[in-house]
Amino acid sequence: MSILMSQIVNGLILGSLIGLIALGYTMVYGIIQLINFAHGEVFMVGAYGAVGTATFVLPTAVTTQWWFLLPIMIVIGALVSMVVAILMERFAYRPLRNAPRLAPLITALGVSVALQEAVRVFYPEATAAIPFPSIFIPGALVLPIGDGVPIQYSGILIVVVALVLAFALNTFVEQTRLGRAMRATAQDRDVARLMGINPDRVIVLTFALGGALAGVAGVLYGNFYNFINIDMGFQNGIFAFTAAVLGGIGNIRGAVVGGLAIGLIKSLAGQYLPGGGAYDYVWIFVVLIAVLVFRPQGFFGETERVRA
Amino acid sequence: MTATTEKKPPAHAAPRPKGIAALKPHTTTLMVVGGVLTLLGSFLPWATFVLNKGPYPAQATLQNFTAPLASSGFRLHLVLFGIAAIVVALVKRIPARHRIARALGYGTIAVSVINGLWITVEGGGLGAITASEGSVAFGAIVALIGGIVLALASRVGDLEPVPEIGWKFNRWVEWLILLVVIVLLLLLVAAVLTSGGFGATATYAGAVFLSFLAALGGFLGALHAAGLLGWVNALFDRHRGYAVILLLVAALCLPLTSAGTEYWMTVATNIGVYAATAIGLNIVVGLAGLLDLGYVAFLGIGAFVAANLSGAAASAVGIHLPFPLVMVIAAVIAGIFGAIVGSPTLRVRGDYLAIVTLAFGEIFVRSAQNNIGGLTGGSNAIPGIPPVEAFGIGFDQALRIGPVSLPRGVLYYFLIVLLVAFVMAVFANLKYSRLGRAWIAIREDEDAARAMGIRTGPVKILAFLIGAMLAGLAGAIFAHKTATVSYESFRFLESVTLLAAVVLGGMGTIPGAVLGASILFILPEKLREFADYRLLLFGIALVLIMRYRPQGLVPDAHRRAELVEEPEPIDTGGDKPTTREAVAP
Repeated sequence: MSILMSQIVNGLILGSLIGLIALGYTMVYGIIQLINFAHGEVFMVGAYGAVGTATFVLPTAVTTQWWFLLPIMIVIGALVSMVVAILMERFAYRPLRNAPRLAPLITALGVSVALQEAVRVFYPEATAAIPFPSIFIPGALVLPIGDGVPIQYSGILIVVVALVLAFALNTFVEQTRLGRAMRATAQDRDVARLMGINPDRVIVLTFALGGALAGVAGVLYGNFYNFINIDMGFQNGIFAFTAAVLGGIGNIRGAVVGGLAIGLIKSLAGQYLPGGGAYDYVWIFVVLIAVLVFRPQGFFGETERVRA
Repeated sequence: MTATTEKKPPAHAAPRPKGIAALKPHTTTLMVVGGVLTLLGSFLPWATFVLNKGPYPAQATLQNFTAPLASSGFRLHLVLFGIAAIVVALVKRIPARHRIARALGYGTIAVSVINGLWITVEGGGLGAITASEGSVAFGAIVALIGGIVLALASRVGDLEPVPEIGWKFNRWVEWLILLVVIVLLLLLVAAVLTSGGFGATATYAGAVFLSFLAALGGFLGALHAAGLLGWVNALFDRHRGYAVILLLVAALCLPLTSAGTEYWMTVATNIGVYAATAIGLNIVVGLAGLLDLGYVAFLGIGAFVAANLSGAAASAVGIHLPFPLVMVIAAVIAGIFGAIVGSPTLRVRGDYLAIVTLAFGEIFVRSAQNNIGGLTGGSNAIPGIPPVEAFGIGFDQALRIGPVSLPRGVLYYFLIVLLVAFVMAVFANLKYSRLGRAWIAIREDEDAARAMGIRTGPVKILAFLIGAMLAGLAGAIFAHKTATVSYESFRFLESVTLLAAVVLGGMGTIPGAVLGASILFILPEKLREFADYRLLLFGIALVLIMRYRPQGLVPDAHRRAELVEEPEPIDTGGDKPTTREAVAP
């Protein structure tokens, strides 16, 4: 019982992270129908930017106080990711806005490889996993179930931050002027232009928001797992894409629910399905294929025919 | 080459700054000056001292180059550029003089920049090429100026369209010309492969290789500008069967050239494996338009099947079948998996299909990594795969036929050449068959294709199946050649590299896939100095190709029309594409 509970807890924590990343995927896909493969790398870059700043820039006096360091790192991670996402949109994707669909997809692959390698080559000792300082309150809350189910405080932080940010984003998209502009652009870019919306600005804003969320996720990821490596972007990016598809692409609530589902699938499959932890990735990909084949519109997507 | 005849919008369409326009009557003088400067640059010293890693090639460290007839390497290329420029400037009967001068100028610029930069970096600063301890070495700078002057001259003068040469000769004469061209091509390939050498002794291999490529690009550009490449191309088309046989023979003769060492045979064999796989992928992506991001898995399946049936001690199956049978089995099993991976195409399209194939690829890698069913060896890989044997000769042995001795690995090279030829034949036949036309129709518009009576489902699955079978064949040879099969050779990045090879070469064309695979797999071999930056440059290159030349180096006629632009009626910035469309032949 306590094993099941702790796997569920692990799954929810990982799922919240994946949900945060999936928000960026889902928004970008919703607005320009691009699978932004490089979004996972944006998440990775945020983590490296934050840890780099903490290691090389900030004075040590600052780095001892978590309530001071953590917000700084989160802001820096978000900023770094946001800048990378904006640059990526401006220089890689915008010139291909009207190109056939294969072109931006391959470009996204190229950006992904380039970002990953840029960090590997230029970040000191990034060839192996590097330690990430554990900055939040250490220790765990122990639930009195069975032998006790520990929940790391940093895990609780992830879930809370993810839910708050997702809620904020949802409010932003549904209730503000800019959010309405985003939805209009997603529905029909040309008509949105006729309504006085500048689609380029809205698209940049989408990338910036998604990037910032991914950056926050990167810092939280490092804080929870206490190490980061350059592969984390690709893997979690694929998970996040799966989550976005699972929830119905373009749907913000769907992305969070999809993320939680993917987190649960990964941790429970690793525990209970044949093959164990070595095959948990495989199960996620199986779910991905099954969803794409049998319900490409996801849980919350409308039943319109999927764009090809 | 067929489609590079596209004409640029004339340079004078845009208002040109008055300063350059004033030079217009003097283009001939400018070209002569550029040529002379280039010649001069090639004879000036390029480095003021012996660099840290030993003297720079082509005696660049001499105070002044004193033996014009003995110049070699990049200096020889520059001499040729300079002479060619002067000849083109003075002989006014040559058509498209400015266009030729432009190619020569760009070539000169590239050669001088590459070598100058290298000397600067290796020598530890600009002092290496400018001034140090009282001596000066302006070779790089003078040659660079020469190149810029040449390019400037061509910019000032009007760029003529590429002339079409209509020479026709007696059939035997044309065959003879083709023979000469193909022999030259063979020597060129050998020279590209071996330029710079390899190993610890070849200190400046990267620079020499890049410089050679740049020079080659310049000369080929000049030949193209003169219309000669187009003419040779037309010649190929007229005698297609003869040319193809000659090409095959030429490929089999590569071991007789300077590239006939064990090392280059291995490199060439690896390129062949990936070229064959890339052509297979080209069926799926280039013809049928189905993006496959997990394609390398089929190469892996073929390799693992062959490894398990090879009698290798580490294999789980432990039976040893004859190699031809193994190839067939590998192809069939890869094909079955191809059909499985392709089956979602019945319901999934576009980007989503790409993700499905990626997921299949990842499942394959993960399973292989975990040694699924004991078939893949996991992280231990499957080592010790015995070489292919035929008539009592192991394929990894050196060969001696009378007076000709061939290096080790040459038999694998022959095998892979035959495989590539086979795959090309399959591709070419399919492309113009009913099935190939159905694929192209699906690529262009699936709904319309279905409306025309094409059964899209089976046709799409067939694309995956045939592509996978070809990759499986290549995988069987790959397993025996490398003797070790590990899941690490079949990661996502390899799929991206294969896709990049297809895209870089030009989707839907045979020479494109081979060219792309050769470039992408020979560059890392040559540029070991940049091993760290390899993937970074690769990623950036992918972005730049998609931005500036999405149709690839050897574009397909259909494909080109589709990929260059999609007219966007509402976009007001859409005038530029229409001009290009109007200009395209």
